[in-house]
Amino acid sequence: MHERLSYYVKRDSALHRLNPLTKIILALSIVLVSIVSPWYWTAHILLLLVIVPLSFAGRVSREYFTSAIRLILPAAGFIFLMQAFFQPIGNTVIFKYLFLDVTQESLSFAFRISTRIAVMISAFTLFLLTTHPSELMSDLTRRGLPPQFAYVIISTLQILPQMQAKAQTIIAAQRSRGLDTESTFFKRAGSVVPLVGPLVFGSLVEVEERAIAIEARGFTSKSIKTSLHEIPDSLSDKIIRWVLILLVLLSIALKIWLS
Amino acid sequence: MAFINLQNVTYKYPLTKTPVLQNINLQVNEGEFIAVVGPNGAGKSTLCYTLAGFVPHFFKGEISGSVEVAGRESSKSTLDEWVRNVGLAFQNPFNQISGAKYTVFEEIAFGLENNGVPREEIKPRVEEALSLTDISDLADRSPYSLSGGQQQRVALTSILVMRPKLLVLDEPTSQMDPIGTREVFGVVRKMAEGGMTVVMVEHKMEWIAQFADRVIALQDGKILLEGKPNELLTSDLLSENGFGISRYTSTAREAKKQGLWKSEKLPVTLDEAAEGFKP
Amino acid sequence: MFDKIKKDFTTMTWVLIPVAIAINIAIGQIVVLLKLPVFLDSIGTVLVGIICGPWAGALTGALANTIWGLFNPDSLPWWPVAFFIGLVAGLCANAGLFKNWWKVILSGFLIALTAAIVSTPISVYLYGGITASGSSFITAYLLQTGQGIWSAVVSTSFLTEPVDKITTAMLAFAIVQGLSKRLVARFPRPENAEVEEGTNRTQLIIALVVVVVVIALGFLVRNMLAG
Repeated sequence: MHERLSYYVKRDSALHRLNPLTKIILALSIVLVSIVSPWYWTAHILLLLVIVPLSFAGRVSREYFTSAIRLILPAAGFIFLMQAFFQPIGNTVIFKYLFLDVTQESLSFAFRISTRIAVMISAFTLFLLTTHPSELMSDLTRRGLPPQFAYVIISTLQILPQMQAKAQTIIAAQRSRGLDTESTFFKRAGSVVPLVGPLVFGSLVEVEERAIAIEARGFTSKSIKTSLHEIPDSLSDKIIRWVLILLVLLSIALKIWLS
Repeated sequence: MAFINLQNVTYKYPLTKTPVLQNINLQVNEGEFIAVVGPNGAGKSTLCYTLAGFVPHFFKGEISGSVEVAGRESSKSTLDEWVRNVGLAFQNPFNQISGAKYTVFEEIAFGLENNGVPREEIKPRVEEALSLTDISDLADRSPYSLSGGQQQRVALTSILVMRPKLLVLDEPTSQMDPIGTREVFGVVRKMAEGGMTVVMVEHKMEWIAQFADRVIALQDGKILLEGKPNELLTSDLLSENGFGISRYTSTAREAKKQGLWKSEKLPVTLDEAAEGFKP
Repeated sequence: MFDKIKKDFTTMTWVLIPVAIAINIAIGQIVVLLKLPVFLDSIGTVLVGIICGPWAGALTGALANTIWGLFNPDSLPWWPVAFFIGLVAGLCANAGLFKNWWKVILSGFLIALTAAIVSTPISVYLYGGITASGSSFITAYLLQTGQGIWSAVVSTSFLTEPVDKITTAMLAFAIVQGLSKRLVARFPRPENAEVEEGTNRTQLIIALVVVVVVIALGFLVRNMLAG
């Protein structure tokens, strides 16, 4: 339950220096192309020839491979197994268990879908490894995102680990008082309320004071907000963004043309 | 004309029957440092919220009488206009962390960003405020990683940096040790000398006696007493009405009964007590 | 219309949304820990829908899935479902359907219906009907019995969603009733949470009993299908 607050790794690299919006568009384009492209091997190629090199360019290859093993491999692997077993396509049966059969076709489908999932997660992992959340939010706010969104997103990222820590404490405390988290179904269902109650009510009561505190600091001020940090956006950023958008449009066009 | 002018202010929270503030009349001059004392439920926090505009703008409820600060009438302003003149910091430091920022430096800049202060100005102002409250060494820490006392300093600094004309503080030192408390009182005194008007709810009598210009004693939503710290804080009326009093005052009062305290005047601070007990 | 929506987004709403998202995720994880056959990962979203209106609920849902996507990337594509859960919860609350326990069950059912409808195309197009959720076992079974992919996915949703969403609506209702009236009054739509008849306490108890019964029923249905 103890996820990290943020994936961000502070380093100086070409990828770190890119404007946050450029990096979001980069991640989104990789995902979209991998989904839209009509060619079977697109996702595999993207993973090996785009994402892995990018992780080196961003000097976060070690962190990327760690999360690939910890997060991406299990997620993609799970999807692979689900698809291989449950997808009722194909006739060339390789393996049979009860009503489930694994066919050559379902295997190849599973390989494609799971790689696609791996690409999707990888693209965003790279983005998160090289972009600080507050940098991203400052940049998006400057581009017209209402500042309240920045507040909500960063605040969630900070509250979440605290809430999870609290949940851990409550579970431990309730267990030591003899609460059942292991036994029969009905006992487990009955334990939801005493576990959830203190967690929820405690955090809701804090809402009022926090609202007062941020209003006292001009949260609802009608002035145009400024930002402490200046987020650079160079000409090359703009060029990269347009090239990426063009590539996505091209693969969509290709898909429509071929089908 | 007084800087703060409360005329017959009576206020009732929504869904309640009895008013928390009853016929409050209070005039405060610019640059004055006022301390507010009183037992639990006396209406101290509500008075703070009233001065800071949250009563009635945020809490709704029924208010009568008039609240004027810096020549403006609260009922004729909106909350976002009001908070530009009046800063508020309160007791629970954890809930005062905005949550929108990763470092103390950014946290303190939050109010300036919201009010549209130009970027070139933000950095020096934050640095100045950090050194004023002596937390420059915390600038790069996460506000959530700090102790309660440190968080209270951050909360105070995030308000000071906005340079309000009126500073309202509701028990801002509750989680601080004596050294921290003394420093905060010192900073607040300095701000008052620079022309900032300060209203501070506090129960640490010995510090009030040393730093505040005037004390207001609240009870059951009414002003019970008002006066110079040394006269008011040693008044018999306070101890009879369940107000917290300084341990030096209560010790000297006992000593007086046994003839060990010679002076007419009771002490509030350690120094005064030490002086009085000198043979 | 736009001004009306804006009125629902007070500072209280903006501060509540992150807390609600954290509640979604924390309860979702506790439920996983207790190995219960429900998700209960949108209680916070429904809560915001009730006391801050449909658009705030919708925003909470969409952001919750996006942010949870950072830790569990598989939740990312499902954000439209969460968006509509918050929206429909808010619309139900505005229509007075969060004022007593049987109306709350109705709201839960409407939310489930919406979730089933919105999730079906995502499931079919993105995953070929077989998602990472345990309920895909039912879909796979139905596919093997010769059902088409759309009807298999929709049937699965109709079997699983109502249990989860009715429980969610009941718990969100119980939470709102458990908050002090003073606190609820600070939010934009306290009138949505005013209880109609009977005392708060008996309704709370009834709500909790129904939650347990509904979970139990769902569990039995699943066991039957799986067995």
